[in-house]
Amino acid sequence: MKTMKNNRIWIGTTLVVAMLAAAPLAVAGSDDNKNKASKPDPMQVVRGAKAWKNNCGRCHNLRSPKELTDEEWDVSVTHMRVRANLLPLEAEDIKAFLKASN
Amino acid sequence: MRKTLFLSSAIAIVLLSAIPAGAQTSTSTEEGLSSANQALLARIEKLEAELVALRASVQQSAQTASAAKATAQSAVKTVSTVQKLAKVGAAGAYSGAPSDAKWHLAGYADVGFVGGDMPGPDSFVTGKFNPGFHFQYKDLLIFESELEFSTTSDGETTTELEYSQFDIPINDYVTLVAGKYLSPIGQFQERLHPSWINRIQGAPAGFGHDGVQPTSDTGVQLRGTVPVGNTRFTYAVALGNGPQTTFEGGVKLEGVSKDNNSNKSLGGRIGFFALPYLELGGSYLTGKVSGYAPPVGHEETPVTLAADVPVGSSAQDQARYTLWGMDAAYTKGALAARFEYLNSHRGAFFSPTADDPAGVFLPRLGMKAWYGQVSYRMSNVGSSDFIHNLEPVVRYGQFRITGHDVLREENAQDRFNLGLNYWLAPTIVTKAGLEWRDFRVAGVPSETLYQFQIAYGF
Repeated sequence: MKTMKNNRIWIGTTLVVAMLAAAPLAVAGSDDNKNKASKPDPMQVVRGAKAWKNNCGRCHNLRSPKELTDEEWDVSVTHMRVRANLLPLEAEDIKAFLKASN
Repeated sequence: MRKTLFLSSAIAIVLLSAIPAGAQTSTSTEEGLSSANQALLARIEKLEAELVALRASVQQSAQTASAAKATAQSAVKTVSTVQKLAKVGAAGAYSGAPSDAKWHLAGYADVGFVGGDMPGPDSFVTGKFNPGFHFQYKDLLIFESELEFSTTSDGETTTELEYSQFDIPINDYVTLVAGKYLSPIGQFQERLHPSWINRIQGAPAGFGHDGVQPTSDTGVQLRGTVPVGNTRFTYAVALGNGPQTTFEGGVKLEGVSKDNNSNKSLGGRIGFFALPYLELGGSYLTGKVSGYAPPVGHEETPVTLAADVPVGSSAQDQARYTLWGMDAAYTKGALAARFEYLNSHRGAFFSPTADDPAGVFLPRLGMKAWYGQVSYRMSNVGSSDFIHNLEPVVRYGQFRITGHDVLREENAQDRFNLGLNYWLAPTIVTKAGLEWRDFRVAGVPSETLYQFQIAYGF
């Protein structure tokens, strides 16, 4: 029982430390993403199309890019980044493709 | 206009000044003079009339010009005001740049019909309406939640919170999830259960409610992806309130707002892409469950589920629950093949009740379920659009239960599904299917159902 409690304390402490230590990374990452979003390039769109097909089509049919606005795709892809365990760069590529295609 | 007035006036003056001279020269003949004067006077009167008309015209023109000038000045002022307002509006309106806070409404809905030789009459079913809300603040976090509205057989509307979670990206490889989340165990619950994604009308046996598949939990998750060469690992590690004991003595695997024991569950899933279109996964969950805790204001006790205590039993007032599973998904082009297996055990323990504080004995409970499913979208068959939208699907699965006779009688079965889907759009599907349920308890009749459903993911 004591070992279990120690484990719990360890897990909780690890979570808190991970959150605090990584907070600046999250903020820095957001700036990077913003800069990238403002400069879409054709190759990013091509990479996005491939990532869109490979990842989104794994579970469900591919939605038409025209279904949502740019801003809605921003939110939808962020949601799917978590649900489908996408890498941030993949998510940005997919956004670039969807925005270029809607 | 002024020039015309000037010329007319000059002519009139010249004519008027010439009148005396004309009168002197015309004294030679009285009659001729009179005639000339009369003609001249008539002409003068005519010119005077024209002069008056010209003056009136000039005045009117001046008034018109003045009014036009005022109108022009007013227009200039209005344009200036509009320009100022436009600048102010543009500063606060969407101008193509991303907003800090964005949101998106998603979700799905379905309706259907179920008939066959199951207990009860054939019936239209209202299905479900599951709106999902996603709110994002910059790239800092996203809050997402999904509700489920459905109608009971007696007409009441039920509302459930499917999930409600904050997702906070920590870095490229780690995202913190906090709240009530869909269980990351296996693939079906987290990714495939929405009706516009699920190729069959219902869940595989054992993967729905009262099954071995956990539906949700409340706690925290760390999840993400780790690239390794040309492939990747995905992971989700969850620390939650964990499973609880149900009124019937089974295991409740849904997220609750308050834990009923001090033991948290630890679980998750690791996935691996052996090929870009082949995902393999393994899941694990462990935690302790304690006795059934009746909701406040209720006095139900699971006394009817008590079993005889085995001789020499050393059962405690808590038991460990352990689940493990594996899954595989091959999704290439029009073909999708899936397989999942889950196996869980809960140890024997005494569940305290109001009537028996020492606890009723709940024996060891074992549950396992698996299914395999293959679907093929006929998008490359023939040249007919109708055929291209067809998708045959077949699924077979088993659900086995040991240690709980009531649950076993109600749920343990082999289940075979055969269906044909027609896609009206990428997110709208109509499904027609047959389902055979072969129950594993002697005396429980098998069932054959025919099912229709239309589902829309939005």
